[in-house]
Amino acid sequence: MRTKTIVKALIGVLVIGGGIGYFMYQAMQSSWSYYYSVDDLSVNSSAAKNHSLRIAGTVKQGSVTRDLQKMRLTFTLAGSKAEVPVHYEGPVPDNFAEGKEVVVEGRLDTAGVFRAETLMTRCESKYKAKVK
Amino acid sequence: MAELGRFALLLGLFLSGYAVLVDLLGAWRKDLGLVKSGRNATVAALICLTVAIAVLWGLLVRCDFSISYVAEHTSRALPLAYRLSALWAGAAGSLLLWLWLQVGFAAMVFNKIDEKEKVFTANARASVNFVSVFFFIILILDKSPFALSVPVPADGAGMNPLLQHPAMVLHPPTLFIGYAALIIPFAWVFAALKDNEKQGLSPLFIQARNWTLIAWLFLTIGIVLGAWWAYEELGWGGYWAWDPVENSSLMPWLTATALLHCFRTYKPRTAIARWLTVLSLVTFSLCIFGTFLTRYGLVSSVHAFPEPGLGILFLVLLVHIWVMAAVLLWRKYRSEPIDSQVTGLPGRKFIRLNNWLMVLLTFVILTGTLFPFLSGLFTEQKISLKPDYFTKITAPLGLALLLLLGMCPYLLRNGISKNWRMFGVVIVSITTVIAWLLTKGLAVPFFIICGFAAINLTADIFNNGSGMGKDTQTVRPRKTLRWYGARIVHISVVLIFIGITGSSAYEIEKQAALSPGESVAIGKFNVKFGGLKTDRGPNYTAMIADITVSKDQEPVARLNPSLAFYSDSGKQASEVDIKRSLGSDIYIALTAVDRNSELVNLRMLIKPLINWIWIGSAGLVLGTGLVLISFYRRSRTV
Repeated sequence: MRTKTIVKALIGVLVIGGGIGYFMYQAMQSSWSYYYSVDDLSVNSSAAKNHSLRIAGTVKQGSVTRDLQKMRLTFTLAGSKAEVPVHYEGPVPDNFAEGKEVVVEGRLDTAGVFRAETLMTRCESKYKAKVK
Repeated sequence: MAELGRFALLLGLFLSGYAVLVDLLGAWRKDLGLVKSGRNATVAALICLTVAIAVLWGLLVRCDFSISYVAEHTSRALPLAYRLSALWAGAAGSLLLWLWLQVGFAAMVFNKIDEKEKVFTANARASVNFVSVFFFIILILDKSPFALSVPVPADGAGMNPLLQHPAMVLHPPTLFIGYAALIIPFAWVFAALKDNEKQGLSPLFIQARNWTLIAWLFLTIGIVLGAWWAYEELGWGGYWAWDPVENSSLMPWLTATALLHCFRTYKPRTAIARWLTVLSLVTFSLCIFGTFLTRYGLVSSVHAFPEPGLGILFLVLLVHIWVMAAVLLWRKYRSEPIDSQVTGLPGRKFIRLNNWLMVLLTFVILTGTLFPFLSGLFTEQKISLKPDYFTKITAPLGLALLLLLGMCPYLLRNGISKNWRMFGVVIVSITTVIAWLLTKGLAVPFFIICGFAAINLTADIFNNGSGMGKDTQTVRPRKTLRWYGARIVHISVVLIFIGITGSSAYEIEKQAALSPGESVAIGKFNVKFGGLKTDRGPNYTAMIADITVSKDQEPVARLNPSLAFYSDSGKQASEVDIKRSLGSDIYIALTAVDRNSELVNLRMLIKPLINWIWIGSAGLVLGTGLVLISFYRRSRTV
């Protein structure tokens, strides 16, 4: 009786766990995004070409241009050693500015330009409010 | 003044530590004198915390920039209301507030020291104070709100203008009330574990349940306020981004929801009792863990920079809690076999199913949130998951939850049985699967199940008992205030799901560069940009766009989104404009302006059904309020 319950429970756990595991794997696979800093990226740039990437860096002073006709924002994302040009066409957060730390998500194109799909600024450290 | 605050914290630490010792000793020796002393020490610690908060508030109002917390979060130009709200604008202040609320709630609930309950309340207080000691240490050594700033700045850094918004003023403290209130079920569980006598439906059990509901209410309000603010203010048109900080408030909310359902079926010495113990510990741990996760940079969030420090103490606290709980659980249930004779509603096992789904949701969200950290453990390469992971993985679980919700009025009373209602469920399920296969999306399945749940729940309100199954154990529902409250909450959940599905699946997004007089089509609407107006304020210049939205040549709305440039800080702030209706919102943000040619960039969104999220949220608050009123009334009559 007791072993029967345990076997039943085990099978239940396996089936449910397997199902959820499969779902999670499926969901993860398509939203996998490799996390690099700009410096790491330049080292691995050949390996990183075909993946979705998430890169953190600083917006280089004097590099921001906005083309209003094409609705495109271009800037240079700088690490401590390396840099990468970024093109972005989505909504720009209000606190985006030169010298800010930002995170971009997207892909590197063949010309070595990073095509960002999302652009995130962080709340400044002095505003370390527990917001949201 | 700051010395007084620092001293109050030190004294509070000493008192909390003392209270843990005497309460444990008093409970062990059943000594009324010691237990009394423990209670008094808890109240004294509360007084110390009150003094510390008063001092910090005083410093903030007086703009005493020699204190670094004040210098970092206020400035002379900041209005008084925001100077007061700066108490919870930073990590140190919000931790202080959380601790104050937590000790305050515990002092309110576990204050009885009569013969019957003295051991129980002493144990409960001891567990609260044990947690407090950790908070005190972090407040004194790591995140002191009273640390000095060297050198003293001439003016403070001020508050992020984005946060100067009523919703953002209320959002953090409501969440903290929720987190703090969850200490009550946590402490109750610990005391019940230590108690070897029978713990039935005692008044303290009722308190634990009521405080879980209060916590749930405040967490709900806090989460919704955050979402609403993001939608109104951030100009990105969304309300939820699956960011680690957001997730860490959602996870305890999910497990607290499970906990509430679990309380409903609690019977001492059953499997449910054990499960409730675990669930209550998990819920409280998630509050602590969420704080650790986001404040100390285990995973980075958009919200703030990681600040390494003594945050590891939070983990130490969690390890302590779980080791002690494991020992107590083992000790208690080794001697106390499960009582399998207890019977109750036939639907009890479906409440367990609800619990499993909630816990599963929490698990997948937690895994996703921790993924950058977890992947860093196994590989060199950190991998993060994009938000669509969360959407994909939570959608099927949400669908299952909705189906269960729709069936619940029937399942709870009758269980699964062969009659026309269960037949309806089968039909609905098959239709849903077919819809999913045909449309290859989850939106239509969601609407089908939402409709099914809405009809079932509404029909149940008007059901007077006729037409119920003739099979065994049919119980007529007693329609009390509490019953109506719960029904309103459940219907509101359906409304929120309708809003989420509509606004995410049928959203239309478009960006356009327009010169004055030009127009662009989005969905069924035509958006025409008339021109720019300039509004000059004391420290800003705002460009206001004049936009006419029309449908079939009929104007439906005039919207005026704006973009302000602040001369002093060089910052810009955009203000979106929204035409709201129950059908859909037209949301327009001015994202860029060329002041010479008057060329503007607009970001336009059509968000169908989004207002049902806010309406449903109001329903959650209303329904929960009704249930709380009925609990309060009952406690008065008992």
